[in-house]
Amino acid sequence: MMTVADLHSGQTAIIKNIDFSHPSSCRVVEYGFTPGQELQVINKSIFNDPLSVSLRGALIAIRKQDARCIEVFLPNEH
Amino acid sequence: MNIETERKKLVTLVGPPNSGKTTLFNALSGKKHKTVNYPGATIEYSISSFLDQFSLDARLMDSPGIISLIPVSPDEKVTIDNLYNHPDFGKPDVVVVTVDSSQFSRHLLLARQIIDSGFKTIVVLTMNDLLKEKNFEIDGRHLSVMLGCDVIKCDPRSGDGIDSLIGLIKTNLEINKEQIHRKNRHSEDDILCIYREIEELEKKVLRDLNENHHEDPHIAKANKELVIAGRGSGIKMPDSLTLKIDSVLLHKFWGIFIFMVIMSLMFTSIFWVASPVMDLVDTAIHSFESFVNNGLGDNWYSDLIAKGIIGGLGVVLVFLPQIVILFFVLGLLEDSGYLARGAMIIDKPLSMLGLNGRSFVPMLSGFACAIPAIMAARTIQNKRERYLTIFIIPLMSCSARLPVYGLLLAFLFPGKYFLSGIILSLIYITGVLISLIVAGIINRYKKTLLNFEDNSSFIMELPVYRVPKISNVFKNTYSNAVQYIQKAGPTIIIFSLILWLLTNFPGKPTVDTSNLPKDDPSVSRLIESERINNSYAAEIGKIMEPVMRPLGLDWRVGVSLIATFAAREVFVSSLALIFKVTESDDNMSQSLINEMKNAKIKDTGQNLFTTATAAGLIVFFMLALQCISTIAITKKETGGWRIPVLQIIIYTGAAYIMTFITVNGLRFLGIN
Ligand SMILES: Nc1nc2c(ncn2[C@@H]2O[C@H](COP(=O)(O)OP(=O)(O)OP(=O)(O)O)[C@@H](O)[C@H]2O)c(=O)[nH]1
Ligand SMILES: [Mg+2]
Repeated sequence: MMTVADLHSGQTAIIKNIDFSHPSSCRVVEYGFTPGQELQVINKSIFNDPLSVSLRGALIAIRKQDARCIEVFLPNEH
Repeated sequence: MNIETERKKLVTLVGPPNSGKTTLFNALSGKKHKTVNYPGATIEYSISSFLDQFSLDARLMDSPGIISLIPVSPDEKVTIDNLYNHPDFGKPDVVVVTVDSSQFSRHLLLARQIIDSGFKTIVVLTMNDLLKEKNFEIDGRHLSVMLGCDVIKCDPRSGDGIDSLIGLIKTNLEINKEQIHRKNRHSEDDILCIYREIEELEKKVLRDLNENHHEDPHIAKANKELVIAGRGSGIKMPDSLTLKIDSVLLHKFWGIFIFMVIMSLMFTSIFWVASPVMDLVDTAIHSFESFVNNGLGDNWYSDLIAKGIIGGLGVVLVFLPQIVILFFVLGLLEDSGYLARGAMIIDKPLSMLGLNGRSFVPMLSGFACAIPAIMAARTIQNKRERYLTIFIIPLMSCSARLPVYGLLLAFLFPGKYFLSGIILSLIYITGVLISLIVAGIINRYKKTLLNFEDNSSFIMELPVYRVPKISNVFKNTYSNAVQYIQKAGPTIIIFSLILWLLTNFPGKPTVDTSNLPKDDPSVSRLIESERINNSYAAEIGKIMEPVMRPLGLDWRVGVSLIATFAAREVFVSSLALIFKVTESDDNMSQSLINEMKNAKIKDTGQNLFTTATAAGLIVFFMLALQCISTIAITKKETGGWRIPVLQIIIYTGAAYIMTFITVNGLRFLGIN
C-alpha cells in the first residue's frame, strides 16, 4: 500500500485513508490530511526527509515517519 | 460583594499558529508584542487593556497558536485548559478566533471547535490580501449565517476593519445570548466529520473573482468545478512565488548549502557591519565621560560617577551596535518566512541527535538570549526533545557574551576587523557544534538521563514568503535593544558601584611617594595598583587565586568572573573598573586594551593578558553556565533542579578544564 512517504517530488496523489493506529494520525488529520483531498509532494529536504507537501492551498513540512500514516492512490489509477 | 460582577470582562484571541493573533492584539491594545512569520511565535498568554480610543472596558488576551482543541501533549493540554479557564484571568466572555482566509479550510477547524464549545465567538478573517492574490474572496455574510456567529474581515497590520470588530465585540459582550453547547467532538472521526462540513461550507462561501458575471451560469458553474477539482490551479495551490523561492531554498542539495551560508553570514556580519558604528559610539561615550569628569572636578564622587558608572556602562554600550545587528538580522529572517524552512532543512540531522526541527528556532534565538529561547522550546511537543533542546541552549553564544568576545578579539587582533569577524563566527559555530555533540552524547544515554515516553514527530506549516517589512524589523530591533539595555544596565551599574567600593576601600596608602617626582604617570599608576592590591576586593579575590593561577589568571579576573553570574556583560565593565580606563586615549575600549596589555601578575611579573590567556577566556565564556536567570528559567520550564544542576556542573566544569588545556596547550606550543 502506498503512502505519502513513497511519493517522488512533484508527484500528485489523493488521500485514500488515514491509519489511525499510527501515533501521529491525530495531528496529521488536524493539519487537514483527510481522505479525498488531493496533495502534491513539492520538495524533499536533504536525506529525502522531511517532505514539503501542498495541501488545501498550504505548504506543510512533514517527516517521512509521520507521512507514513497517510495512505494515498495516484489519480489515474482509480 | 460578588467577585464575578466586579471582574472585568475578558476577550480572548484564539487561532491557529501564524494566523495574525498577535498582530491583531497589538492593533487593539497598542502594545508592541513581537509578530513573526513563523508558526509558534507566541508561547505565553499575555493580557492588556484595549486602547482608550475604542472606549471598551474589557481585558484582551493573546494566546499561543493551537491547531485544534485536542491536546496531543501534556503541555498542550495546559494551553488548552487555560483557554477554557485561565488561572489568573478567568473564563473568556468573548472569544475572537482568527482565521487565515488563504488557509480557510484548515483554519476553520479550530473556529468550528470553539463555536461548538459554547463560547460567544467572533470569527476574524485575516490575510484577505493573500486570498485575493489567488483571485478568490470569502462571502463573510454568508459564512456568518452558516456558522451562526459574527464574521468580520480585518487586516490587523493596517487597521482595516478594526472599528467594526470593536463594534462586534461590544455587542457580543452585552448580549446575553444563551449558547448551544454541542457535544465536544474530539475524536479523529469527529475531526474528519468537521472537515467534511467545512468542505461543504467552503463551496458556498468561496467566490472566484475570475468568474465572469455575464457568463451563462451553467458554464460558470462548470468552470468553477473545474478549478476546484483541477490539479495545480486556483485555491488549492499554494502561493506561486513561494513555490518558486522554495524550489531554490528547499532544493535537496542547495537548500542545506544556502542554509549554512545564511547562518555564517549572520555571524560574520555582526563584526563587519558593526565596527565602524562601534568606533563612533565609543568616541561619543568617551567624550561624555571626560565631560562629566571635568564638570565634577577632582574628587571622590567624580571618580565614582565617571569611572565607576559611566565607564563601566560605556565599555559595554560600545558593543551595542553588534547586538543591534544581530537582532536586525534575526528580525529579517523571522519576517521573511525562512525560519520554518530552516527548521525543515535541519530536522533530519537534528533528529539523529535526539533533537527536532522545532529545536532550530529556540537554538537560533539562543544567540540573542537564552531566556526567551528556553521558553520558545515549549513549541516542541516531545518532552525528551524539549528537555534536550533546553539543555543545550546555554551553549549558544548569547548577545551578553558579545561584549566579552568583542573586547578579547580586539585585544588579540587589534584593528583586524575582517579576521575578528571570521573568528567570531568560528566561535559561534564551535558553540553550536559542541552543543550538538553534547546532545548526541546525552541522546545515547537517554535511558538514564531523560527517560520519557516517545513519539517524535515533525509537522509544520510553511508560511508564505514575504518581503520583510523593514519598519517592522526596525521596531522589533529597537525594542530588543532597549530591553537589552534595561536588563544589563542596572546590573552593570549596581556591580560597578559594588566593585568601585570594594576596590577603593580601605584605600590605605602603602607606597612611599615622597622621594619620587610628583607628576610622573608611572607613580600614579603605582599608587593605583597598590591601592587595589590592598582593597577589600583583593581580600575576596585572593581566596580565588589558587583556582585562577592554573589558568594563568589572577584574582582580578577571578573577581570579574564572579560578577558575571549577574550578567555576562559585567565582565567587561568590571575589567574597565579594575584596570582603570584612563583618559589619555580618545577611545574607551582602546584604553582598556592598553591597560590590559600592561597588567602584570603581581608576584611573578608575568603579563596577565596574553594570547594564551585571552584565548582561554574566550573558551571559558563559550562553555561556562554563568547566568542566574538562565538557571532560574530552566528550573521553571523543566519543573525541577535536576537539569539546571547538571548543566552547572557539566558546563562550568568543562569550561574550567578546557580553559586550562587551552592556556597551557598554547603556552606549550610557545604561544604565550
Ligand atoms: N499579508 C498579511 N499578513 C498578515 C496579516 N495579518 C498578519 N500578518 C502577518 O502574519 C504574520 C504572523 O502574524 P502574528 O500576529 O505573529 O501571528 P500569530 O497568530 O500571533 O502567530 P503565533 O503567535 O505563531 O501563533 C506576521 O508576519 C504578520 O505581519 C494580513 O492580514 N495580511
Ligand atoms: Mg502570536
